[in-house]
Amino acid sequence: MEANQLSRRRFLQLAGTGAASLALLAACQAPVAAPSGGEAPAAEGVTLTFGHHWEAAFRPHQEEFDQKYAEGHPDVQFEYTYNTWSEHNQIVPTWAAAGTLPDIIYVHGRYAFPWNHEGIVVSTQDFIDNDPDFDVDGIWEEARRLYRYNGQQHGIPYDHGPMLLGYNKDLFDAAGLAYPAEDWSWDDFLEAAKALTQENQWGYGGYYNNIVELGNELGISLVGPWGGEVIDATETKILLDSDAARTALQWWADLIHVHKVAPLPAQAQAVPAGPWVAGMTGMFALASWGTPTLIESASFAWDVAPWPKGPAGQICGSFGSGFGITRDSKHADAAWSYMHEYLSKEGMEFMWGASGRGSPARQAAYDSWLNSAGAPAHAKYYMDALTNYAVTGRPYESLAGGEILDVFTRNTQLVQSGDMTVDQAIENILAEGTPVLEAAAKRLQGS
Amino acid sequence: MGLTAASTRPRKGLSLRQREELDFYLFIGLWLVGFLLFTGGPILASLLFSFTNWTGLTTQEWVGLENFRKLLFDDPLFWIATRNTFFYSLGSVLLGTLGALAVALLLNQKLPGTTLMRVLYYIPSIASGVAVSILWIWMFNPQVGLVNYLLSLVGIPGPLWLGSQQWALPALILKSTWAIGANMIILLAGLQAVPTSLYEAAKIDGAHPWDEFFNVTIPMLSPVLFYVLVISTISSFQILTDVLVMTQGGPGTATLVFVYYIYQNAFQYLKMGYASALAWILFAIILALTLLQLWGSKKWVYYEDQAA
Repeated sequence: MEANQLSRRRFLQLAGTGAASLALLAACQAPVAAPSGGEAPAAEGVTLTFGHHWEAAFRPHQEEFDQKYAEGHPDVQFEYTYNTWSEHNQIVPTWAAAGTLPDIIYVHGRYAFPWNHEGIVVSTQDFIDNDPDFDVDGIWEEARRLYRYNGQQHGIPYDHGPMLLGYNKDLFDAAGLAYPAEDWSWDDFLEAAKALTQENQWGYGGYYNNIVELGNELGISLVGPWGGEVIDATETKILLDSDAARTALQWWADLIHVHKVAPLPAQAQAVPAGPWVAGMTGMFALASWGTPTLIESASFAWDVAPWPKGPAGQICGSFGSGFGITRDSKHADAAWSYMHEYLSKEGMEFMWGASGRGSPARQAAYDSWLNSAGAPAHAKYYMDALTNYAVTGRPYESLAGGEILDVFTRNTQLVQSGDMTVDQAIENILAEGTPVLEAAAKRLQGS
Repeated sequence: MGLTAASTRPRKGLSLRQREELDFYLFIGLWLVGFLLFTGGPILASLLFSFTNWTGLTTQEWVGLENFRKLLFDDPLFWIATRNTFFYSLGSVLLGTLGALAVALLLNQKLPGTTLMRVLYYIPSIASGVAVSILWIWMFNPQVGLVNYLLSLVGIPGPLWLGSQQWALPALILKSTWAIGANMIILLAGLQAVPTSLYEAAKIDGAHPWDEFFNVTIPMLSPVLFYVLVISTISSFQILTDVLVMTQGGPGTATLVFVYYIYQNAFQYLKMGYASALAWILFAIILALTLLQLWGSKKWVYYEDQAA
């Protein structure tokens, strides 16, 4: 054998070393994506580029709006990149890192604050101040606050919805129960849930949603009626160790483990569409953005009722989405001109009201949704909640929003499955979450 | 014939060794250029990022070894992810390699239909990762899933699998056997390269089939087995798709694995510097394990061409 000939042993050694190097590559490389458009001005005007998250079925509606807009603005052309919702939130930072952000992007409320902080979305305050025709006050304050940074409005919300109590009318009828009433308390809810539950049937129950889930709109909906809070207003302190929050979380956990009116996570997982959409549970925490799915998929009659009152009163969480102009936009004026119409009363009516998609962020546009074929019979309760008792669910002013929600989920999942007590979960959340919030606040102060 | 003649024609002025070296560089050249252009840069950049607090967006500050200090001494999730990853790796590599070897041995028999079976066993290896993960969510469905149905046939009540803190990681290990086809093909090729004369000699010496297996098959297959073990270990440390699609690290931290934790830090928490430090720790772990395997191979891997 020649000394320098590549032996099998040497080949395997090299292959192993090479593969080890590739492990690093896989671990370190970031996927890079770019908008399909980019800077390609029209011959006599501008091309506005968009980073949307609409599913395929809604895209024609978006493009129909843009065609109408183009009739009044023939100098503007449109280029779209449609991401899925979850991918969008990771693609946008890669666009930002590459300097290829579209002019206008979709911004979910949870990402607004960090994206504003990082400069991905720029302030629109000057545009608003110099555009008296744009009625910013006509948008619910609870919606606008998600997109405010350092006292300046950055993104503009298009959708904002509270949590209400959805119910399956067919199951209520079959059980001979009266539908949930405006004055329902959580005791009424529990009695109905017990009556609706079919024993020993996997996934069936009186109620289903991510019980003991503390994310934004759901967290405050669960603990608020008992007088509890999830996070303080400075978003540096977790408040789940109050008696009120502890009592509330225990009440919700008992729905699964004591009263057995709600399924275990594994039982719920047995139904791919979820027990609620599949028509197996009587009640559900139903945000307005969940209604199109029901219209499309539910094979049962359903409606919504106000979020029941707790010992401390009536309160539910709300959350929403919006759009922002990015720092890479070369056509900020044209982008604002578009946003002005897109997020005007008429724009919201066309896009999210009359289309049945639901819950436009302007009160004046709400009637268009209430009168649409897609709205449930008592959709007005959504507007009542926004007007009277819904509050935007924290965290939304922390740089650690995603991280803190993961801390919550890691622990509440185990409460749901029965592997952890509520007290232990609260203790863990405080121990893990407090340093995360403090570090984020420190970063904010240092910037 | 013409091709054979051309390929064997000696290139003027080059020795056999020089010609082989030239061939080597020609073959590896394209990959090397791609590596240096598109991957070498990001590798070096990530090393620099690991000493910063870069979010991936704004300017970065040099923080020295702070990221490494924090993750080693102040981050319990790092240790949970490391422990889970080692557990997954041990289970999936052992199960995957033994499973691939068993199937390769079966498909090395001269029986009708083995070619079709080889194709069938290999097909899952080329299926889309996400689609397969979704398929396995169904398989592990505690109520209507195939896995628990099969267990019920022998009177075993199946666990909650992905919904269980105890069973979620074993479920992912079980799922990893789906792709044993790739290793099976490599091992099958290795089995077919074992000279039949060795088996004939063993038979003449009165060897039992088990003796043939342990004294002929395994030693002759050991270089290929070693390769399969090294590659499988490396890829097992990089598990991401299954966790991302099937469990998102849960329930609790039951399936929080290393690369998923890197992904969370980089793209969900915008802690690119911290994620880079994690990536380099992962690289160090994989490198150390690979070197350990290389060192250990001297004890059990038999190279026929280097035999005395």
